[in-house]
Amino acid sequence: MRAIKGVLLTCDAAVKQILLIMNEQQSFIIEDLDDHHLVIKADEEYRIRRQLETELEKNTYTLES
Amino acid sequence: MPSVEENPLESLENVKTHALLPFLHQQSATALSRLYTSPSSCLSIFRLLTPVERQIVMNILWLESAIPLSTMAAWVTIDGKKLYERSLETLSQLHILSQYPMKLLLNSTFKSSLRHAITGGGTTGSFGVPATKDPKHSPPTVESLDGYALERWETILHYMVSSGTGQLPTKPSTGVLYLLKESGLMSGSQNFEPQITSEGFQFLLHSPHDQLWELLLQYLHMVERRSMDLVEVISFLLMLSTMELGREYSTENLSQTQKVMLEDLRDYGLIWQRRPSSKRFSPTRLATTLTSSSEGSSLSTLAPTQATGLGNSSSNALTRSKGTGAGIGGGAAGGGAGSGNQQGFIILETNYRVYAYTDNPLQTAVLNLFVSLKYRFPNLVVGSITRESVKKALNNGISSEQIISYLLTHAHPQMRKFNPMIPVTVQDQIRLWELEKNRLKSDSGFLYTSFQSQADYEYVLNYAKELGVVLWENNAKRCFFAHEEGHGNIKSFIERRRTAGQGQ
Amino acid sequence: MMDTLCVVIDLSVKHWQRSATASDQPLSLPAFLIQLVAFLNAYSAGSSDNALAVFAAFPGKSLMLYSSTDTQPQSTTVSGPNSYPPFQLLDDAVVSSIIHHLESLSDSEQEAPCPLVGALTKALCFINRLTLDHNTNTSNAEGLDPIALPDPRVLILSVSPDITSSYIPIMNSIFSAQKLKVTIDACQLSGPDSVFLQQAAHLTGGSYLYLERRDALLQHLTMTFLPSPSVRGAIAVPTQDKVDFRAACFCHKNIVDIGFVCSVCLSIFCQPVPVCSTCRTKFPMKTLQRLNASRPPAQPRPAPIGTNGVSKANGSSYGTPA
Repeated sequence: MRAIKGVLLTCDAAVKQILLIMNEQQSFIIEDLDDHHLVIKADEEYRIRRQLETELEKNTYTLES
Repeated sequence: MPSVEENPLESLENVKTHALLPFLHQQSATALSRLYTSPSSCLSIFRLLTPVERQIVMNILWLESAIPLSTMAAWVTIDGKKLYERSLETLSQLHILSQYPMKLLLNSTFKSSLRHAITGGGTTGSFGVPATKDPKHSPPTVESLDGYALERWETILHYMVSSGTGQLPTKPSTGVLYLLKESGLMSGSQNFEPQITSEGFQFLLHSPHDQLWELLLQYLHMVERRSMDLVEVISFLLMLSTMELGREYSTENLSQTQKVMLEDLRDYGLIWQRRPSSKRFSPTRLATTLTSSSEGSSLSTLAPTQATGLGNSSSNALTRSKGTGAGIGGGAAGGGAGSGNQQGFIILETNYRVYAYTDNPLQTAVLNLFVSLKYRFPNLVVGSITRESVKKALNNGISSEQIISYLLTHAHPQMRKFNPMIPVTVQDQIRLWELEKNRLKSDSGFLYTSFQSQADYEYVLNYAKELGVVLWENNAKRCFFAHEEGHGNIKSFIERRRTAGQGQ
Repeated sequence: MMDTLCVVIDLSVKHWQRSATASDQPLSLPAFLIQLVAFLNAYSAGSSDNALAVFAAFPGKSLMLYSSTDTQPQSTTVSGPNSYPPFQLLDDAVVSSIIHHLESLSDSEQEAPCPLVGALTKALCFINRLTLDHNTNTSNAEGLDPIALPDPRVLILSVSPDITSSYIPIMNSIFSAQKLKVTIDACQLSGPDSVFLQQAAHLTGGSYLYLERRDALLQHLTMTFLPSPSVRGAIAVPTQDKVDFRAACFCHKNIVDIGFVCSVCLSIFCQPVPVCSTCRTKFPMKTLQRLNASRPPAQPRPAPIGTNGVSKANGSSYGTPA
């Protein structure tokens, strides 16, 4: 039996796909559990959140100019 | 209230418990009994009760001996049973009912004090001793008291809202700063300027009445630590709430503790004194409305900060707040030019535009928390609710519900014609923006995997489930994820099992 | 939660004297006023938003004694440290003006009947005014249905017997009250049961109480009339099990057991008439004869209480004019 320290991410399927792609550039996923759950390295969480946010931000449009 | 007809008790059931009552629940029976010796305290506490609780108290107030529960229960309707029992429970927690659940009898101290409050008489002097006429100065006018209270209260709020923005508004007194830090509304150590916390941001969006009580409750907690006499502090606050606005009271009959409080309450704007050493004091509207009801339509009746609607043009604000004091009739008196503002000042359109008819810097600053402001005119601020502005608010710890409820309570009378008042698109979008922020949820912990047998796996999993720390599990893969908190226990559980297994 | 209560007090000198000297449980006016004031204070204690107005029906005139919503003159009498200033103000206003007005009555004026219905109408006007204010304040005035005040009600405390000539104005007040969604509560403190007040309470969903235990006045007032209509949903109040539905005829203002109702305008008469005095409808001779023939020979006698709907039932059997 093994116990692996990490952070469980719960997210929707779309976010998970983005995370998988991000993982290809720089690996941080410890275990891909299912469609909505991932375990990642604990110290990577902050970076991942930042990167995800910029990624998601690319997909929002505002009327502000 | 269109819903009243569907469920006649709905309006009774939705009555909010006043913030002070849970605090009183925690006090000992002896402390409460001491508090109940004062008729003004009893009257004020009576006011804070729900309508059904008040009726129960009144029904047995004039009886000399205890009555069996069944006597009153016979009058309770089937629909009202739950409400009635909950009310009895509350009254007994407050030690207002003394023999519940055996019989119905009012606490004898409470009974005689409330009787005194209602019929007058007694010698407790608990409604404050009016000061003798001052030959040199005439007592302060209601207008000047309102102005004073307003200025004090807004100083506090404005200080909170502009912390961290680089502006330097007037600093409230050290006592107030200490209280703000203690209550967790602001953070910061000695060397740094205090910063508003996410609780602080939420606080700003509450109704003035709630804000005031939130601070006062914090004050009560602090009083315990300063080893002041809590009962005297509470009874003084409640006494203030029964005093007459615009009258001067003498400080001579106050206890030492209460004299110390004068200074604190001056800082919060609850009382006014000509000089700190003065032998007389006047309660302001903030104090005299402490036990007025706080919900719904009556919101405008007690909110000096509300009345600041167009705060700085003080003459305007004052005529308005004068009108608000007396409830509906007062509203009629101020019903002319000012009436719109006491109700609210925000117009929100379906295109997310916000028009706020205000020139009050505090209200502008509060709006700035979640609106991106565009133009400013002498009596109007225009802005719009955008994804960025809402995200900024969310990051500050303000929830979408708080934004919506702020918009609701401060909606301009023009908006009140619509049903729902706030355009649905805008409401939904604000909520969606909040959801968007929560697309990724994370919990740190441990992934338990590579179990040797299904039995092993189930055994450990069941233990973890008992601890309530399992966040995710998969039988097929024989692994589960548990929260960090449980790791120590699970680890030792497995080790114990292993050593036990080796022992065999 | 805001309540509105208007109290209408019957101050007929003659009937209070009778009540004070009654052999069975006398209740004098001063004793009544002490308990009334306690009741009014208990009501005001509930919430500072509670609106209260007190109206009095003196012999020959009706007056408003107190209103919590009108700006009070800054109280000249300084209330002491032992009483709550608003209560003091209320008590002074009510008691002193009652004493003042009663003392200024001449002996002949004392005999005049008390216009209870006048005071009731003033109370309804007062509530109407509050409703209008309430609506302008919430900016609801522009073309929308006015929002009714939450739970407005009128409490009538009466000692006089019904004045039958005021049947029509009382019924009209009841209809206005229904329209304003005002609940009318009534308490007959002494004398005979009041037919009109029973109907007023019944038709507006209020409570009518005939005070039998005059020594427990305050307790009865508190239990029955203190709770607002919404609280009565949880803690019920005594209601009538029987309502005296008899009406007064339009021709002689007598309370009738059997009335004759005009089939066109529903006016009530104590005997068959050839022409309706209200709408001028002429009835056929034949019908009149038939009705006269079927009338009970006995002259009007005191009717037993609880003859529910007798007048209505008989009225509807009245044939339509051919």
